[in-house]
Amino acid sequence: MYGMSVGIRRLGWRLGLLLAMGVWAGCVTASGPASGPGVVGSGRVQYGDPKAVESVSNSFGSTDLQMIAESMTRSLLQSPAITGRHRPLITVDHVKNKSSEYIDTRAITDTILTQLTKSGLVRFVVDMAEMDDQVDELGRQNESGLYKKSSAKKMGRMEGADFRLVGSISSIVKRTPDFHDVYYKFSLRLTDIESGVVEWADEKEIRKTTTR
Amino acid sequence: MDSYCRAEGEGIFFRDVTVCPTRGGLRGLAADSGHFRILERILLKRERTLSLGVLWLLLPLLQTGCAGALRSYDAELRATTSLVRVNRPDLALQTLEKNNADPEKDLLYYMEKGELLRLQGAFADSRSSWMAADQKVQQWEEQARTDPGKLLGAIGSVVVNDKVRTYEGYDYEKVLLTAQIALDHIALGDWEAARTEIKKTHEREAIIADLHAKKVMQEEAESGNRHVRRSVKELQGYPVDTLNDPQVIALKNSYQNAFSHYLAGFVYEALGEPGLAAPGYRQAIELRPDIPLLEEGLKQLDRRRERLAAGKTDLLFVLEGGLAPARSSVMIPLPIPSAGLVTLSFPVVPDNPSASYHPGPLQIDGNKWVEMAAVTSVDAMARRTLRDDLPGIVLRSTLRAASRGIAQGQANRKGNELVGLAVMLTGLVLESADERSWRTLPATIFLGRTALKPGRYTLSFDTAYGNRASMALDVGGRYQLVPIRVVGDTLYLANTPGSSYGSLPVVGGRALTK
Repeated sequence: MYGMSVGIRRLGWRLGLLLAMGVWAGCVTASGPASGPGVVGSGRVQYGDPKAVESVSNSFGSTDLQMIAESMTRSLLQSPAITGRHRPLITVDHVKNKSSEYIDTRAITDTILTQLTKSGLVRFVVDMAEMDDQVDELGRQNESGLYKKSSAKKMGRMEGADFRLVGSISSIVKRTPDFHDVYYKFSLRLTDIESGVVEWADEKEIRKTTTR
Repeated sequence: MDSYCRAEGEGIFFRDVTVCPTRGGLRGLAADSGHFRILERILLKRERTLSLGVLWLLLPLLQTGCAGALRSYDAELRATTSLVRVNRPDLALQTLEKNNADPEKDLLYYMEKGELLRLQGAFADSRSSWMAADQKVQQWEEQARTDPGKLLGAIGSVVVNDKVRTYEGYDYEKVLLTAQIALDHIALGDWEAARTEIKKTHEREAIIADLHAKKVMQEEAESGNRHVRRSVKELQGYPVDTLNDPQVIALKNSYQNAFSHYLAGFVYEALGEPGLAAPGYRQAIELRPDIPLLEEGLKQLDRRRERLAAGKTDLLFVLEGGLAPARSSVMIPLPIPSAGLVTLSFPVVPDNPSASYHPGPLQIDGNKWVEMAAVTSVDAMARRTLRDDLPGIVLRSTLRAASRGIAQGQANRKGNELVGLAVMLTGLVLESADERSWRTLPATIFLGRTALKPGRYTLSFDTAYGNRASMALDVGGRYQLVPIRVVGDTLYLANTPGSSYGSLPVVGGRALTK
């Protein structure tokens, strides 16, 4: 009887130990990182797909930017102005924001420029916004006395662009207490700098509606 | 305690009462949903509840250490601002520190301190103080994004008096805070950081707009359930004219201001982002369609490149005049259910003589004049805020007074005059209006814009007392922002090297700048 009770007691003690270890392990798991090894922090921040459709609000968002850039790039690469020449040179003029919304139009043209460059069918030259930095760099190489003359890039050798890319974005907003409608129109034009002829133009329209 | 639910954590007993779980049949003490019925059930049914009712009323005093309830912010800041008027922002800061001895500083302290340091030319310290204030506003923003219901519940709670609640800042103050930080960044030469603050302003405005929409929806939903309705018209003797000024009514809302948007336009333009500058100028025009300077900002956006080509600096003068209005209290008798005629305290924005200051055109070297346009009236925004909030304040004060009346009446009926007296005294202390607001902000913000060749000039203009003031102005770079502050006869000018941005175009191998 005694031996049996000792055995039971030992078994109980072992079970208790196992249970305690299980609880401890459970606690560790519960208080550990939310997902996978190498994750620090609370785990409440999640990474998402940058291409996922964003519909948080009616204001201009990442999906709008991507839709415009993709549509414009596809259309431009099919135009005879591009396909008819060997890697023409383009400069990006600014895209006029005619809306009342703080839309970073530079971010749109940057995406278009990246996608066009990746195609290998066109090349871009420094635009107005970057010209100051370009001139500063050339000046430093040629006038500061810090660079070897043989490797300093020469003044007066910059390439002139064949085309100028200009555009605008405008919006129409309608709002009632129960309804909010925003219509965006993005227009882009490719102009031959020498002749002044508009060789290509396209538009992308987006409509976003929220109902309360 | 069985009739009361106790909230856990952080000593926000009263705020949480409105949302705590039911115990003993009590669910919430919000302004709506039969507030009186619930109160009467609690306070009249059980004798022992009476003492708890008194404790309930006294607790806010104990919680805040009486500091919040007994504090007269108007009196404190009257001393501080009078030192600013006589060119002693250093002593004003000492006064502010003395009045905020508690190591736990609130939003208002950091806001006022940032301005007082800025007036002393300590731009880095001013920026640090305003960044500390901004941290607190960001916490509020986080809650507005994730749990707007709780935020709106706290605003609408009748149990806790407005003045003992943690100061969260008025919406127009939150918006102006980032603009002020941007001005500090510019004075220190960090225009990119100024851009970050400006972007934050747009996002903040969107959050506030969203919260306002939710608040309207909530009020609409609750209006049907309310047992008590109160209108501002019932406040006999309240100076309604102070809130019905045409300038106040003409504002699109209480939080957006044309200055912040024009500043956004200017900074984006300086940084070579006309696509973002245009909506800045456009929104400024939408907020103040009657000002030619704002229209020119947009119209001339493309043409201003010619100024650069001519080797001229694009100068924006930001003149902040006067001081933001005070909030003081006015006592109005109101008939209260279960309590009779009770004199209650309501906030009022008194006349602010500094808001009438207009500097007239700035004179440069005696031969060039720059018109200054009053683009933002902080004075009007403060009045508009109170105008929008007053119906809610009246309702909440009425409900609080009614609950006190029930407690006091019950105490007197039971022959416990001492408890009745305690209830009455507690009410008198607690029920004074919330006088807090960011007082060192200017009353009016004026803008003027011109183009000048780089060099040293003499700038002169009228002070608030009509005296002529002159000061040296160094002009350089492509874009320059010149902040001027005028309080009474005292002038503050931030003409730092950092306030100019970029270099003028190189012509003939030689830069046009000095």
